[in-house]
Amino acid sequence: MASHDDRGVKRSNMEDNAAQDLKRIKRAENGDAAPEKYNPYLAHLNEDGNNGDFESPLDSFERHQTTAAQAAQAEDSELNPWTGQPHSQRYFDILKTRRDLPVHKQRQEFLDMYHNTQILVFVGETGSGKTTQIPQYVLYDELPYTNGKLIACTQPRRVAAMSVAQRVANEMDVELGQEVGYSIRFENRTGPKTMLKYMTDGQLLRESMHDHDMSRYSCIILDEAHERTLATDILMALLKQIAARRKDLKIIVMSATLDAQKFQSYFYDAPLLAVPGRTFPVEIFYTPEPERDYLEAAVRTVLQIHATEPEGDILLFLTGEEEIEDACRRISLEVDDMIRESDAGPMKVYPLYGTLPPAHQQRIFEKAPGPLREGGRPGRKVIVSTNIAETSLTIDGIVYVVDPGFSKQKIYNPRSRVESLLVSPISKASAQQRAGRAGRTRPGKCFRLYTEKAFKKELIEQTYPEILRSNLANTVLELKKLGVEDLVHFDLMDPPAPETMMRALEELNYLACLDDDGELTRLGGLASEFPLDPALAVMLISSPEFYCSNEILSIVSLLSVPSIWVRPNNARKRADEMKMHFAHSDGDHLTLLNAYHAYKGAETNNEDMKRWCHEHFLSYRHLSSADNVRAQLKRIMETHDISLVSTPFQDKNYYINIRRALLAGFFMQVAMRESSNSKVYKTVKDDQLVMIHPSTSVTSPYDWVVYNEFVLTTKQYVRTVTNIRPEWLLEIAPVYYDLDTFEKGEIKSALTRITDKVKRRQAIKGSGSTR
Amino acid sequence: MSSTTKDPSTKGAAADSDSEDDYMKMSFTDEPTFTTSRKSKSGKPIETSLQRRLRLQREGEIRGRVKSKAELAAEEEARREAALSTSLFDKLVAPSPQIISHSPSASASPAPATAVPPAAAAPPITTKSKGLAMMAKMGFVPGTALGAKSAESEARTEPIKISIKDGREGIGLESERKRKMQEAAEAAGEMAKKARVDEEGYRERVRREREEARLERQVYAAQKVAEGMDEDYGDEVGDRMGGEGEVQKLEGRTDSGEDESEHGSDSREKKRGRKKTGASSSRPLRFIPVVYRGLVRSREEAERERRMRYDLEQSSMLSSARLPTYVDDELDMDGKHALGKDIATVHKPWNTYVMAEDLDEEDAELDEFNALNPDERLRRLVQYMREKHHYCFWCKAKYEDAEMDGCPGLTEEEHD
Repeated sequence: MASHDDRGVKRSNMEDNAAQDLKRIKRAENGDAAPEKYNPYLAHLNEDGNNGDFESPLDSFERHQTTAAQAAQAEDSELNPWTGQPHSQRYFDILKTRRDLPVHKQRQEFLDMYHNTQILVFVGETGSGKTTQIPQYVLYDELPYTNGKLIACTQPRRVAAMSVAQRVANEMDVELGQEVGYSIRFENRTGPKTMLKYMTDGQLLRESMHDHDMSRYSCIILDEAHERTLATDILMALLKQIAARRKDLKIIVMSATLDAQKFQSYFYDAPLLAVPGRTFPVEIFYTPEPERDYLEAAVRTVLQIHATEPEGDILLFLTGEEEIEDACRRISLEVDDMIRESDAGPMKVYPLYGTLPPAHQQRIFEKAPGPLREGGRPGRKVIVSTNIAETSLTIDGIVYVVDPGFSKQKIYNPRSRVESLLVSPISKASAQQRAGRAGRTRPGKCFRLYTEKAFKKELIEQTYPEILRSNLANTVLELKKLGVEDLVHFDLMDPPAPETMMRALEELNYLACLDDDGELTRLGGLASEFPLDPALAVMLISSPEFYCSNEILSIVSLLSVPSIWVRPNNARKRADEMKMHFAHSDGDHLTLLNAYHAYKGAETNNEDMKRWCHEHFLSYRHLSSADNVRAQLKRIMETHDISLVSTPFQDKNYYINIRRALLAGFFMQVAMRESSNSKVYKTVKDDQLVMIHPSTSVTSPYDWVVYNEFVLTTKQYVRTVTNIRPEWLLEIAPVYYDLDTFEKGEIKSALTRITDKVKRRQAIKGSGSTR
Repeated sequence: MSSTTKDPSTKGAAADSDSEDDYMKMSFTDEPTFTTSRKSKSGKPIETSLQRRLRLQREGEIRGRVKSKAELAAEEEARREAALSTSLFDKLVAPSPQIISHSPSASASPAPATAVPPAAAAPPITTKSKGLAMMAKMGFVPGTALGAKSAESEARTEPIKISIKDGREGIGLESERKRKMQEAAEAAGEMAKKARVDEEGYRERVRREREEARLERQVYAAQKVAEGMDEDYGDEVGDRMGGEGEVQKLEGRTDSGEDESEHGSDSREKKRGRKKTGASSSRPLRFIPVVYRGLVRSREEAERERRMRYDLEQSSMLSSARLPTYVDDELDMDGKHALGKDIATVHKPWNTYVMAEDLDEEDAELDEFNALNPDERLRRLVQYMREKHHYCFWCKAKYEDAEMDGCPGLTEEEHD
């Protein structure tokens, strides 16, 4: 599941972040214009007179008594019932297709149930139209102008929130950002007239930190709840509580078919409405024997389909960029041979993964190539994708799915405190979802590259919900801010392991966000205002003490986006050479900063930024999105009176201050070299052996380094490291580096020596000054 | 100085074996100082230049050793596994487990991690976690799961396991491989087990067979004894078959001679055998007690067989004798005998021998007796002799009266 945490910007390697960034940039200007604190509730009161300007078919409606026929009539009217403007031709065209959606047939049934219950579980398969239609049905029933309350529909992914909002705005014949808007992290496209708001689940969670009762909303729709993102799980637990307090709040939990009973029983046996999807049967094939090399098997299967199966496009699921590019190369080569040797049809191969530039992503929607010559065999396209094509992207024309059964999944273990993306077997639910992709346009086939026995025995039923696979420091901070006192008995659908909770509390305590009694500190309250992981937020908040808040702000922004470095396969050497221009020998954080400064410099020189980035092997997309993030964070800093200061660049302490400031947030991510000529480092307290990632620009690493990320693959790496002095640790994080809390070992003895040294030096200084 | 030039491995060993008074160990907090009066502000001893030099030298030695890639990988994994397999709660309760280096070379380096004193000597350093304290305040009990109080807890108490996939093996390959290996191992185990069972079975069978054979021999012996006893008893009562005695004695000699060589009975029985051969031949078998009737019967049968064969030979010999043959007068008796020419003169006519009249009849009683296990047959025999003759087969002694005072009992075991 490429689920991602909307608030923890840190997860730069998540698949889908990247895809969203460009779109965000395009709209950043508009989005920024809408002040965050604007309360549409009041706005509606002010502009209520608008509705009196025309005779709306809605005037005769009674709240919570709308029938399907009434609503349909209103939809059919010449004037837009919400704006009073005449409907466009496109509106009626779309309306026709909307009426064909499976969900439309059950509109009355839905309304009847909606009227009679506070919480409703809605199950609709892909293609039922639930995401676009249900919120509109609710709209015609809630009649938001009567009480000024909004309808929220959450989405696990930013792209989905944006694109669905756009689609619904079109369907309602309104402008996006007016009656229908969206709100995602760092981007809010809603206005005073907004009645229906699509938003990421994380965004709704952040909003509720300041509005514990979610009083702005009359109905909250949790879409794609089956994906069980961290934020959706927290929201469900919160809404369960709020529903008891606010009887006027309606809740709809929308899910794909699987696990619907679990949602029902969680929400006090809420009634269930199921709408069949519009899918065709998919025939499933298994391999007779387990595969030795799933990549090779996948390539072989694709070619076999191309050679023997009738027309129809192929979707192949793989785990990551490198693997996908590899597979694309192999397939292309083989197809060329097939065309030459056996008169096969042409086949286009498209990769698809999160970090792929959006323009390239769009290419997957291109039509399959025609036959090479008149009467020749038809061409087809094959899309080699990560699991973003499993749920978030729908590609029509797919008839064949090849599923090796793996995906990259985030996993966190509190014992080693490592959060990593690991290639893992998918769940049965996931496998079914993948198979379903073959049946969107006509009956299809799914080729599973594992045995039926392995499917039954090796795959888990459901993908583990994200809450079980995540570091909860951020979540705990949010819950504290949300006023949840009893975290231990918080009614989550799948409570995490107790150790995870313990680690989170501990970390927050070390970061001084929670005091020893578990109460939120001032710093903790402030940190929760930032849509960042606590360590980053604390680092940012304390940066003025080190006279470098401007620089830390830039670094935090750069760490919040996917890697800005571009390293194409065919130009690795040149890319590395270019990176050397920005390299700072003392730290990758500093190298990032240099690159950003260069970028800003080029910008002020009115350079063609895209070209400039291309020439310097930097990602324009990610740099400009970092720039945008920086602006957002800067605004939050200003709101909370955190001063923006810099040490003069000429000052010899310029970089030292920055390196010290990094430790204010990342003192728990420090490693000590095992021995002076070794490449192996040992992480402090966790005692794990790591190496510095080869991508580093640190030429002469010190005995002590601070790192941004622990990467767990078959090897253990720390990525984005900066040299530090151990004395700083004792000074900046004395609680964490209290020697009594250390286990006996090299690190403790090293720190003991340093303590003694510092004390000696102080003693000498002291005696010198008194003399 | 000389002591510091020891190579690291011996130091490591010393540290491991005798950490109490090992001045080489890497924790310097309790390192003996030369001048106890010199202390820093914190009260900790100040390192002298000599100590410092020694320490640096030691450290240099430790760090100077470069570990191999495999060593590193193994150590990396060992530490990861160590971290992942220990519950944080356990860590807080018990003294934190020390990482034990797996490679022998790693233990040779006197890293403090390996050279720690036994857990008893080192109190747990990990203080109680503040995180756990906070949770305890909210009512958490270690060992339970989180979540709503009312819910029957299906929630997990353990974090999800991390498994690192290495390579591109498809789903099910590893388990398939494991399964195959397990199957192979099981099959091998089965074979070994089966072989073991077979071996035992064989031993058992052989043991049983030997036991049976032994019992059969004892039955046979007992039958002979019983027959002899009956005969003696009969002799005492009066010899009814006196007339035929001489002939039978002659016949019986060869007979019992064969018997003896076959069954290896003692000489006393030989004598008796000769006697009884003569005694029982003419008696109808049904009058012989069933306990040794089988013996008599088989002897009778053997005898008849022998005789028939003898008759056949004789007749053929006689017929050959009837042929015109050259009679060498110079042949002495021995010579004649060797050529079978003396038969008519040597042998008495065979019709003087009286076979038991009912030899060819079916004997249900005997069949029944023979169907019994040898130990049962033996028991009956022993019983028979005790009752009839106050004779104990095991004591090999005849008692005065039916009380059989002095005999330990009926079975062989009782006579051990």
